[in-house]
Amino acid sequence: MVRASLMLLKDAGRGFCNSLSQMLVCPLSKQPLRYSEETNSLISDAIGVSFPIKDGIPCLVPMDGKIIEADDMPKTDDAADLSSKNNQ
Amino acid sequence: MLCQFCHTFFSGFKEIPEEEKSRMVGNVFSNVASNYDLMNDLMSAGLHRLWKDRLVSKLNPFPGMKHLDVAGGTGDVAFRILETLNSVKSRATQDSLDDNLHEETQIFVCDINPKMLNVGQKRALERGLGEDKSLIWVEGDAEALNYKDNSMDGYTIAFGIRNVTHIEKVLAEAYRVLKRGGRFLCLELSHVEVPVFKELYDYYSFSIIPAVGEVVAGDRDSYQYLVESIRRFPSQETFASMIAAAGFQKVEYENLVGGVVAIHSGLKI
Repeated sequence: MVRASLMLLKDAGRGFCNSLSQMLVCPLSKQPLRYSEETNSLISDAIGVSFPIKDGIPCLVPMDGKIIEADDMPKTDDAADLSSKNNQ
Repeated sequence: MLCQFCHTFFSGFKEIPEEEKSRMVGNVFSNVASNYDLMNDLMSAGLHRLWKDRLVSKLNPFPGMKHLDVAGGTGDVAFRILETLNSVKSRATQDSLDDNLHEETQIFVCDINPKMLNVGQKRALERGLGEDKSLIWVEGDAEALNYKDNSMDGYTIAFGIRNVTHIEKVLAEAYRVLKRGGRFLCLELSHVEVPVFKELYDYYSFSIIPAVGEVVAGDRDSYQYLVESIRRFPSQETFASMIAAAGFQKVEYENLVGGVVAIHSGLKI
């Protein structure tokens, strides 16, 4: 295995290395996550939810998930969308 | 008393619906985080350290293992696993194959409470493990884990399972993420049936512990919650049957200090 891929980058903004992406998945869909450098978050493409990374710690509790589509919608709909998602 | 079937439980004489439980538990651990380790030392007269040592020795960590420590917030179990592996490494002849294996070791410390994880990160630094790339801190929910099926060689949960709302979900998730041949280990406060000792232990729990919590941590309620949660937790036998119901084989338990704590284990075949 290439040594470089084993280096674990824990600090926020330094990236989500290969070995971690092989182990961590979305807590809701159990599908792979994709790191988004611009938002410093982990995206679950399977269900369109993003999870934040705070102080280098991925926050992968279901309640931390934010629906991505909500960003394109007016603010008042965000809370309704998220609460209806969480009530499913 | 706990009603395991309708998932309501009682704090003192007050009934708490399950949707309230995780909020209450969250508050308890946010309040206790900074004093957590000190209170553990005081309440158990330092014995919790031996109990955790025993848990890790039963685990038999090996270099290159993928391990998940759930509700591991302040890092006690994870540090012990790493230190066990590091001491083996320094005694063995240096060999490039071994080096590669050690680099593959991953210990995920999973906790639902970020304050507990932050305390853990600080303690890792104090212990000289801050730069260890094997230690990975993740905020996660034991009832809905963020790991792939069949990905972990070991799973530990120390003093965490009595705080979850749905024990069966936690056990099911533990089973899911473990590899075939993987081991489940749970260290938890349990039930004492030894005559006389039981009465002494009850007195200690209900009269002494909350008072110490008040003096040391300024928080009587959280420690009152603690002692009640211990009494509500299923007995050793009942918990063992729940572990078996989740699919684990070779389910066993070992009582320590007459049942004050028990270590339950199971194997995923």
